[in-house]
Amino acid sequence: MDVWKADVAIVGAGGAGLRAAIAAAESDPSLKIALVSKVYPMRSHTVAAEGGSAGVVQAHDSLEHHFHDTVAGGDWLCEQDVVEDFVARSTEEMVQLEHWGCPWSRKADGHINVRAFGGMKIERTWFAADKTGFHMLHTLFQTSIKYPSIRRFDEHFCLDLVVEDGRVQGVVVVDIASRRFTLIQANAVILATGGAGRVFRENTNGGIVTGDGMALAYRHGVPLRDMEFVQYHPTCMPGTGLLFTEACRGEGGFLLNRDGYRYLQDYGLGPAEPTPRNKAMELGPRDRLSQAFWYEQQKGRTIDGPHGAVVHLDLRHLGEAKLRERLPQIYELAEEFLGVDPAKTPIPVRPAVHYTMGGILVDGRCAAPLPGLYAAGECSSVGIHGANRLGSNSLAELCVFGKTAGVEAAAFAKSVAHGRADVLLKQAGASQQRALALVTDTSGTERIATLRKEMAQSMEDGCGIYRQADTMQATCDKLAELRERYRRVRVEDTSSVWNTEWLLAIELGYQLEVAQAMAWSALERRESRGAHQRLDGYGERDDVNFLRHSLAYHAGADAPRIGYGDVKITRSAPGTRAYGAAGEQAEKAEQERAAQPGPAGEAHRG
Amino acid sequence: MADTSDTGKRMRIEVLRYRPEQDAEPFLQGYDVPYSDDMSVLQGLQYIKDWLDGTLSFRWSCRMAICGSCGMMIDGEPRLACKTFLRDFPAGSVRVEALAHFPIERDLVIRMDDFLAKLESIKPYIIPKEARSLAQGEYLQTPAELDVYEQFSSCINCLLCYAACPQYGLNPDFVGPGIMALLHRYNADSRDGGASARMEVAGSEAGVFNCTAVGYCSEVCPKHVDPANAVNQNKTRAAGDYFLRLVTGKGGAK
Amino acid sequence: MNTPDPRRPYVRPMAGWWRRNPFFVEYMVHEATALFVAAYALVLLVGLLRLAQGEAAWNGWLDALRSPVALVFHVVLLAAFVYHCWTWFRIMPKTMPPLVIRGKRVAPGVITACGVAATVVCSLVVLVVAWGATR
Repeated sequence: MDVWKADVAIVGAGGAGLRAAIAAAESDPSLKIALVSKVYPMRSHTVAAEGGSAGVVQAHDSLEHHFHDTVAGGDWLCEQDVVEDFVARSTEEMVQLEHWGCPWSRKADGHINVRAFGGMKIERTWFAADKTGFHMLHTLFQTSIKYPSIRRFDEHFCLDLVVEDGRVQGVVVVDIASRRFTLIQANAVILATGGAGRVFRENTNGGIVTGDGMALAYRHGVPLRDMEFVQYHPTCMPGTGLLFTEACRGEGGFLLNRDGYRYLQDYGLGPAEPTPRNKAMELGPRDRLSQAFWYEQQKGRTIDGPHGAVVHLDLRHLGEAKLRERLPQIYELAEEFLGVDPAKTPIPVRPAVHYTMGGILVDGRCAAPLPGLYAAGECSSVGIHGANRLGSNSLAELCVFGKTAGVEAAAFAKSVAHGRADVLLKQAGASQQRALALVTDTSGTERIATLRKEMAQSMEDGCGIYRQADTMQATCDKLAELRERYRRVRVEDTSSVWNTEWLLAIELGYQLEVAQAMAWSALERRESRGAHQRLDGYGERDDVNFLRHSLAYHAGADAPRIGYGDVKITRSAPGTRAYGAAGEQAEKAEQERAAQPGPAGEAHRG
Repeated sequence: MADTSDTGKRMRIEVLRYRPEQDAEPFLQGYDVPYSDDMSVLQGLQYIKDWLDGTLSFRWSCRMAICGSCGMMIDGEPRLACKTFLRDFPAGSVRVEALAHFPIERDLVIRMDDFLAKLESIKPYIIPKEARSLAQGEYLQTPAELDVYEQFSSCINCLLCYAACPQYGLNPDFVGPGIMALLHRYNADSRDGGASARMEVAGSEAGVFNCTAVGYCSEVCPKHVDPANAVNQNKTRAAGDYFLRLVTGKGGAK
Repeated sequence: MNTPDPRRPYVRPMAGWWRRNPFFVEYMVHEATALFVAAYALVLLVGLLRLAQGEAAWNGWLDALRSPVALVFHVVLLAAFVYHCWTWFRIMPKTMPPLVIRGKRVAPGVITACGVAATVVCSLVVLVVAWGATR
């Protein structure tokens, strides 16, 4: 095994990993930074983000508004001190990207433009047409090339963390092209590996989104927080799950049921107006919109399609010129994948799994409870999304907390000395052997695809938009069975050059454990909040018992142990989460109440 | 995986296989894949990998033509497998090979470190024309100024243009269409002042004059980047720089 | 210990590359038609030479041009010229900076059409002048 000595090792080179690498390199150019990615950085799934990235910029907007939108959007399961930090720094990060060359869409006067997004009171979503993630990722990647201290390990797969003396001291990686192993010795490790949406059947995620970093940290005793909160994005392509950005609605698109009726007005999101009103109708938050779809389907008011029920995303009234300018990628996706001209015909859409709100437990400095370990981006749970993420907060998160993780990890790395390589090598060698056992043991009988398919179907059945104890329990049981069968997984390919079947088997191992954390966290949360909605008598939010973060702890071959942690509340006491006209009324009442002298609002239930 | 159980239609997918530890040279292997009309070539390959032959290797990720991973030769043309559909091969068979002009690492996986090295050589980042602090806010850039470089910034690095460029195939030192598009993207950005450094690459032995205006690169580009345009605009500029140097007797790619 | 590098990248040969794709065949035809342009330049050059050699030589050259073989040759040349001209203007939009008129980019098709139109006009002017001069 080769050894490469770094100060900071970063696993994952999407938006968060790249931002962290740049931040670490800028904080001290003498530090050696290893940037590991199982794909070339520009393939990372940040690339697929479409709509935009939040940062307060308009004169009539405020950090306070962004804070409240985020906290209420997350159904008060947010770490409010972290949200305060987030909204305070996101605009600066967007400007930083602008200085690095990101081609933000502009107003006629040359200033950057912003668009409306779901659950946001005032337009604050920076965008680069409908390819915002793509442009942010390429900007960050190309900018990272400027820093000679960043050594990339492209197409290297991370097999394990090396933990010694109670702290992380490196990672074990394998070169996909040659199957050569390297121990990257590092005093600080940042995980930035993205989400885990591929554990579900119909999802918007790329094939690489398999929860690798979550599983790595989890196996080493770091809890995964709030894993039951999985976001269904309301407007996705039937069958493939490909995303039609929320910006479709931000620009004025409608959602119609089979009668051509804007059904969201029946779900507390009205009134239905011809132009988008922020935080109303189609600009409600994603959880509410996906839930409304579910009810429409129950009522038989959806449209039958070859891949299940759909509703219509109607963009016709926006006209071809505006669609080509603001939503060019959406236009092409509809034309090429569905044969639909969105200027002439509504696009059939249905909800699909999009985002993992939970993740590796970290504090506001992106530090995990395991010394030396940091995490940023979708794989982490820094606490800003709570029970439901608002659209355009995740791209901003990559930058804000990517930077935090880079700076903090660099500082930590300088405060400790490298451990003894021989001790670490022994551990790394054991990891290598475990991984290689998948190809050397040819007695396996279980097909990877069969296990993966059963897992994904079971997650959809048990942990979908609406949940109940019996189906969640069935999913938990199924996952236990699959983990047991996984021990007999068969890898046909024994070669050492570009053996992707071997990697799929390792990824499946990661996925099964992350899925278990999701399913058990969901089963144990006996209330409804944000993206976690139950039908079995726990249909209401229960702040008395569950205004708490869930924490899933790895328990070997057994089901995870679920514990709970406190929620940090600074300025916003849990209130009623309302949108549309009801939301405006509630806001007015809240303002009046806040104007009265006396203790800050008491916790509501609802 | 697309639901393929009910259509009864089957597609013959011929794949160029190459496993360096077993095969002296590449060979075609055929698979019969059930398909429906909305299935992409990528989904066909995934079906093979999942259910017929786990040893077939290929790159893919986003499935929506933005990550740039799944460039392949499909019936001899450079295409993204994710947005090429099986329904468009009515004869019932399709041939899939690794991207032309690149060394085959294995099966449909090409070796692309050459592209990365070239990308690193062109300083693909803003070299500010004038310094500006974050507190001063964004640089102003009008929609017209954005329009000048925006298309070139849309390159997804899928390498289809390289597979379409015979000059790159004949001389792999040529920087090639995609890199020239990115080089031009920065040179044409109103915020950038680093053009002269980059023009050294454009005007070099490996630079734009390797291009003979075949134009196929722009035809196959899935993102309408028009890399041929970037190359040819820089021929004019590089020639101008050359004559300016002759006249002034010094480097002058300003 | 790591094993030696098992990679053995396979480089495919380029021989016969232009036959692999209809686009490349077309490109080669375009390039080949340039030879016809060169050939016609040679014909004219010979004419110039003949002119310098005196009237008899010049008339001999003119007679040679009137032979059936020369006529067929010129028809072929004309066809090659038209093809070269058309394909040349077709690639032209790709070779120039964006042309913006009244805030809108001029479409590639328009640029090609303008090029072709300019060629037609120039050719007509030459024809008319030549016709007028020889009357």
